[in-house]
Amino acid sequence: MHTMNGIKTLADLKRKQEEVKSRIDLRNRAENPDSLVQVKVAMATCGIASGAKEVMEYFVEELDKRRIDAVVTQTGCMGYCFAEPTVEITLPGKEPMVFGYVNARKADEIIERYIKEGELVDGIIPRNYNTI
Amino acid sequence: MIDMAMHMMDIVQNSIRGEAKEIGIYFFEDSRHNKLTFRVEDDGRGMDEPTLKKLTDPFFTTRTSRRVGLGIPFLKMTCEQAGGSLSLFSEEGVGTTVEAFYRTDNPDCLPLGDVAGYAALLLKANWELHIRFSYRTEDEHFVVDSDELKEEGIDLRYPEMLTALKEFIQENLNEIYRKRPPESLLC
Repeated sequence: MHTMNGIKTLADLKRKQEEVKSRIDLRNRAENPDSLVQVKVAMATCGIASGAKEVMEYFVEELDKRRIDAVVTQTGCMGYCFAEPTVEITLPGKEPMVFGYVNARKADEIIERYIKEGELVDGIIPRNYNTI
Repeated sequence: MIDMAMHMMDIVQNSIRGEAKEIGIYFFEDSRHNKLTFRVEDDGRGMDEPTLKKLTDPFFTTRTSRRVGLGIPFLKMTCEQAGGSLSLFSEEGVGTTVEAFYRTDNPDCLPLGDVAGYAALLLKANWELHIRFSYRTEDEHFVVDSDELKEEGIDLRYPEMLTALKEFIQENLNEIYRKRPPESLLC
């Protein structure tokens, strides 16, 4: 594991927290959660086996780097096991949209085109799709 | 599931679906005797005896989104294929404990995998729950407890703190891993 500034003790972790807190203010978000992009990564057996962890880490890190206010969390199996990893994205004021076969490249496209621009991209699973 | 960290994420999801508020994740590595125990304890809904008996049946699930439930059957398979065993305990209204025992000297024993990465994600994604992660050997013990982190002012809703927490866990686990006897096959 690479270590840049080295977080080994609880004190290191607290120092990092202070540093992050001084730069970012989360208070606005709590008051207005509907203004945030919500990303839910399906993290059941099927999702985990297909690489959902890497997808979730990618969304957490990249949305932050690209300065998009979002909440990334996990959810259970949505029934689209064939298309894992799947991700449900809710843009403020819009219906939730489920994307299938998400990897880092797809996640990048989803962020750049769907989250930023609201364009539809390939890989959307229609809501009336039968589950297996 | 190709490593124990994936199982950990998977089994904890069951606790979350079972409405647990407190979840304990415990690894105990007994390298002198080539044993590793992985246990998840929760205070969720629990289940009755007949339901518990069906848990290792891959065609049993409480979900309506699909007709199979493979989490527990896979865990049973991976520990049994390496000469280990799976134990399940549950009581309605009290909680459930899943305990997988692995023989680490068996060539089919799973590697640990990215335990730090999965543990950090679990804490972040379920920050409202009380999750305790513990890794113990005969001589060493490392614990991350979400309530204790909160008391220290750590807030995982900040995205950057995920990477920081992962590094914190990884560094401490590496410290423990380094003290393993050279003949240990666990990786």
